[in-house]
Amino acid sequence: MRAVNRNSLLVWGLTAGAVGALLFWRHSVITKLGATAFVTGYILFGLMVFLALYNTRKKLSMVPLGRASSWLTLHVIGGLAALFIFAAHIGTFWPLGLAEQVLATLFLLVSASGALGYYLQLWLPGRLARRGPEMIYDRIPAELARMRAEAEAAAMAAADVSGYDTLGRYYVESLAWYFARPRFSLNHLLGGRRPEVWLRRRLQTIDRLLSDGERVHLKRLEELGAAKTALDAQYSLQTLLKSWPMVHVPLASALLFFAVWHLIVVHVYAR
Amino acid sequence: MTDADVDALMANPAIAAIKADNFPAHIALRAILRNDGRIVSFESGDIVVREGDYGNSAFLVLSGTLRVVMPPGLSRDLLGRQAPHKKSLLQSFAQLWRNRRVPEVRDAARYRDIAAHARRSKSDVNTHVFIQDVPRVLDENRTATLVAGDIFGELAALGRVPRSATIFAEADAKLFEIRWQGLRELRRYDPGWKRRIDENYRRNALKSHLGAHPLFKSMEASALEAVMDRVRFKTYGSFDWHVTYKQMRESGTEGENAQEEPIIAAEGTVPDGVYLVRAGFARVSMRLGNGQRTVTYLGAGDHFGLNETYGAWKSGEPIRLQHSLTALGYVDVLRVPVSVLAKHVFPNLAESQIPQDVRIDRAIKDDAFVEWMVDERLINGTQAMLIDLERCVRCDDCVKACGSTHGGNPRFIRHGFVFDGWMVANACMHCRDPVCMIGCPTGAIHRHETAGVVVINDDTCIGCGTCARSCPYDNIRLVEVASPSGDLMVDEQNRPIAKATKCDLCVDQPGGPACVRACPHDALRRVDASALLAHDIVTSG
Repeated sequence: MRAVNRNSLLVWGLTAGAVGALLFWRHSVITKLGATAFVTGYILFGLMVFLALYNTRKKLSMVPLGRASSWLTLHVIGGLAALFIFAAHIGTFWPLGLAEQVLATLFLLVSASGALGYYLQLWLPGRLARRGPEMIYDRIPAELARMRAEAEAAAMAAADVSGYDTLGRYYVESLAWYFARPRFSLNHLLGGRRPEVWLRRRLQTIDRLLSDGERVHLKRLEELGAAKTALDAQYSLQTLLKSWPMVHVPLASALLFFAVWHLIVVHVYAR
Repeated sequence: MTDADVDALMANPAIAAIKADNFPAHIALRAILRNDGRIVSFESGDIVVREGDYGNSAFLVLSGTLRVVMPPGLSRDLLGRQAPHKKSLLQSFAQLWRNRRVPEVRDAARYRDIAAHARRSKSDVNTHVFIQDVPRVLDENRTATLVAGDIFGELAALGRVPRSATIFAEADAKLFEIRWQGLRELRRYDPGWKRRIDENYRRNALKSHLGAHPLFKSMEASALEAVMDRVRFKTYGSFDWHVTYKQMRESGTEGENAQEEPIIAAEGTVPDGVYLVRAGFARVSMRLGNGQRTVTYLGAGDHFGLNETYGAWKSGEPIRLQHSLTALGYVDVLRVPVSVLAKHVFPNLAESQIPQDVRIDRAIKDDAFVEWMVDERLINGTQAMLIDLERCVRCDDCVKACGSTHGGNPRFIRHGFVFDGWMVANACMHCRDPVCMIGCPTGAIHRHETAGVVVINDDTCIGCGTCARSCPYDNIRLVEVASPSGDLMVDEQNRPIAKATKCDLCVDQPGGPACVRACPHDALRRVDASALLAHDIVTSG
């Protein structure tokens, strides 16, 4: 369980208070038939710019701009506050104009991808640590290639022992598919055991056709298969952790672009 | 060393005084001189040892004159040190556009200036940095003279402490350099050398070591002198522990040789004094079942056996040691005999003033982390990069931040020792016992003047790789450097110019280590191993 930081609790409290005050103010103005869209819109736009600055902070890591963890806390709290302000700004369940619908869709997609990313960041590291082996993402393909070469060598070596190519042929027919590249990605993400079951069945199928000498190499294939399964899991989980920002950040950029455009249009036509 | 060299050396008065018969046949004097020594020549102005450097050898002056520079010592420029400098906010921001597309770009003009101060030899490790204007240095500094027959450097060689002064050749000089192994044998088998080395140690270093310990801190000068006269010192284990440790890591047998560690004091025996660790590390363990359970480890300034010794003195009954003390790689120990403690120390101290020995108050299930830290020698680190893998999202923001603050190339790898959801990454740990600092021919790797972290002066590094080979944890890397135009820089023989690089803890950056600041989940910390174990930062489940 992560320790709850006292400062982040304070920020959560202050933000909740500020959003509550804004919603109360909006309610009191609306009951007097006043307009609040400009105020909530500008606050929302300012907040979105602030949220986008988190990514800029990452690019400026050489400048002492505070800890990234503090920025992330503010990013999460600000993102949640933006949802309430967004609801207050549009004042309805779904806007009517096409342009506003695009903007609203982008906003919701950015929020959803952010929430999903945050959840993944809380959920996946623990699974990665427990699953092991720890390996840098960029090194995994090379390690998989090394395992593939070793597996092929083990399958070939069995023929030298027995004079039969049973294991070699079986490797080409069946196991080569598994060693070719990362497999069962979705199952790994869901925490399933399908790869282990698949591998065990394949190995059991061939076991009865082998001599004791060949079984030594089959045993090596089994070990390599188990190691690859663990590495595949690392690859799948790390791919997901690295992929979600690829959705979140471009969507956020598009949202900011449309928000600026929306601001210009509102000022031009509201005169 | 040729036979003729050894013959000539045997005729030197300092060596001729040694009785060769005292040495056992398998460690003959001639063999020690031949295998552990070499004759080194220095030209006028050559620096022989630098203040602050670590070394594993001592020197006997055969001919010529040398000068010992007294405090405050030579300027950092002459020593090849890096001037402490912290970037301003603007300078740190400017890295955004000053960082080049090609990593490891250097200003070649600076190297030309530095090269003028180094006398390169065929072997990089024999390169000497020299002082150009010796008369001026002699005018501006207080110096002492060393002549033929004098010995120096033995304290640093045997005690793993930094060299206390800079020594340079005033006139051309010839020295006999002897490695710590040979020096240890000479001290062991020749009473003359033993007396010489021990007296030197008592005169120069013992007072400050004893005075720093709470047991002796408030003693009167005369009593302290009496204690100093009776203190015994001994070195256990191998000075080159990093070499055997690396071999163990490569063979995957680290931690398996704990039973073979040299025993300093055995559990169940009556202690013959209190042990003070002067340098290196020792393991405190106790018997449990059929094995030894690690209680903790001791480093410089720690003591062992005090509670038993004090208890025995107070009760008048002998008390046996509750734990064993063994050398972890290498340890330099002082032993204060029981009789000295009983006469000069215990009567003058209240029971509350007696520092407590280590106590074990954790469950066996929590031992694994301590055992791992000790077996992997991670206890050496003062700024180890500890990553909580249950928090780390593998975003590599730490690596990117390190790269952007170090000219485009990160100074660590997010990979390393993993244990139970924790990783100690391949980043310089700024060790207590910095073996990387032994043997640097130009003094480029050194402790930062103010921050105390281990840094490399890029200007004076000649890329020989001595530090990288010595680092037991593979945390120093050689990189090939490029000119501002992006071309690989080469020397006169068209070989790429290499520089040693490692984590410098962002000592010149405002705001501290960029890696720590860049972690969005507070998963990465720089920790002192002793604080880590003492304060239980890592809690076991």
